[in-house]
Amino acid sequence: MIEVKNVTKKYGSFTAVDNISFEIKDGEIIGLLGPNGAGKSTTMNMLTGFIEQTEGDIIIDGYNMLKKPKKAKREIGYMPEGVPLYSDLTVKEFVTYMAELKKVDRKVRKEKVQKVIEETGLKDVQRKLIKNLSRGYKQRTSMAGALVGEPKILILDEPTVGLDPKQITEIRSLIKELGKTHTVILSSHILSEVSQICSKVIIINKGKIVAIDTPEKLEASVATNNNIYLTIEDPDNKIDGMKEKIKGIKEIKLVEENEDGTKRYCIESEDNTDLRKTIFAEFAKENITIYEMKKESVTLEDAFMKLIEGGKK
Amino acid sequence: MLSVIKKEFKSYFLSPIGYVFIGLFLLMFSLFFHIDVLQDGYTNFEFIFYSGATILTFIVPILTMRTFADERKTGTEQLLLTSPISLTKVVLGKFIAATLIVIITELFTLLYFGILCFFGTPQVTTAFATLLGFLLLAISYIAFGILASSLTENQITAGALSVGFNILIWFLPRLNPVYSNFSLINLYSKFPEGRIDIADTITFIAFTITCILLTLVVLQRRKSVR
Repeated sequence: MIEVKNVTKKYGSFTAVDNISFEIKDGEIIGLLGPNGAGKSTTMNMLTGFIEQTEGDIIIDGYNMLKKPKKAKREIGYMPEGVPLYSDLTVKEFVTYMAELKKVDRKVRKEKVQKVIEETGLKDVQRKLIKNLSRGYKQRTSMAGALVGEPKILILDEPTVGLDPKQITEIRSLIKELGKTHTVILSSHILSEVSQICSKVIIINKGKIVAIDTPEKLEASVATNNNIYLTIEDPDNKIDGMKEKIKGIKEIKLVEENEDGTKRYCIESEDNTDLRKTIFAEFAKENITIYEMKKESVTLEDAFMKLIEGGKK
Repeated sequence: MLSVIKKEFKSYFLSPIGYVFIGLFLLMFSLFFHIDVLQDGYTNFEFIFYSGATILTFIVPILTMRTFADERKTGTEQLLLTSPISLTKVVLGKFIAATLIVIITELFTLLYFGILCFFGTPQVTTAFATLLGFLLLAISYIAFGILASSLTENQITAGALSVGFNILIWFLPRLNPVYSNFSLINLYSKFPEGRIDIADTITFIAFTITCILLTLVVLQRRKSVR
């Protein structure tokens, strides 16, 4: 359980984070979203106790970060932005050092280090120097460092930046897996990633929270026109008459003519109706062949853009 | 704290820094040994340590310049400072690791003491006082070096700052004898004479503690302005 109460961070006259409050329950996977410079990293750095807030309280599992930093930090595994590592050490030495810093009991330390190394898929490279590892393995090493000591909360700052698509999928499924046993907070630029992994999203812009909700609800909140996109073959141009034939169509617009003779249309329909079934049946009667039909969907990207743009006005 | 000491100590030998420090010191020390003992015919151990102290002035910064500057530059300070370990332990851990390197170096100098024993009878008590004074001077330099390192993210800046400071306080008494007690080397020079001055010992220790406290203040302050 993480409670953030009226937290503000100022650098001189510049306010990086402006009076934010939120609560994260155990077992949630939270995505922290925002454009560059919105205050994501600052927020994460405050949550981990790396920097101190100017005002407000951060309470980690009942421990106030400023008053009981050791106990609060004990609950957190942190993977900072840009995965800083001690490059002179081997993977195993690094994870062991992290375990020592986190006061993992001496008797079980070896065993716990080995367990984390296996969980993060580092077994084959554990004796390699970190400086010789590929970016993907470095990321995993950083993750292993965060995981060791069995923290309840994992804070991951941009965990997939700089990875290739295969590595991204691997890290994502690792995070999903970890989400079953940990509370996870991650920041990301990649919105599809957040909507895939996270159960809740916090959108920050200019140091302020713009929205906190599930990805689905955020997407729904910005639902635009009820549009259907069609690619059809219609040699007799019967589409012009369809507006009268099918109730609920507001407008039919030609989007483009393809080289193969098919045409792409956008059908704007009335709110709260799904005309796809009717269109399919009626078009068939008129001998209009449908090659493709797609309901316009709103992505988290749209929601994000709208919320951020809204903040500017 | 033990974990920080272990890691820092190991790091000195994973990078060339530990070898460079010990090697450079012994090289210079051997040079002075040759000049003082073999050429000029002095058989007292402590005499070489007058020169030994000047070597320290220049090479302790090699040992300390990266302590915090490098962590800050590579971002590993985020790992260190978000761990459930107090700042005091982090600073002391780094301080002790550097001190251990100096102690190892001192142990090597005992070889020269052995050589002198073979040819003459050097005074053991004076030698002990010398080594103690040498260690006190070293910890003062280390503590200041760590403070300098905590002020910047550039190792070279930290190193230059420490060397500059060490040279400055060394030569202060030449400007005006009033400053003679500010010169750590002046204070140290009584030790090779066989005198363990309590006041001087306390001065060294107080200077060291002050630098460590200031380092803590710097690091704590950075938490709120970073």
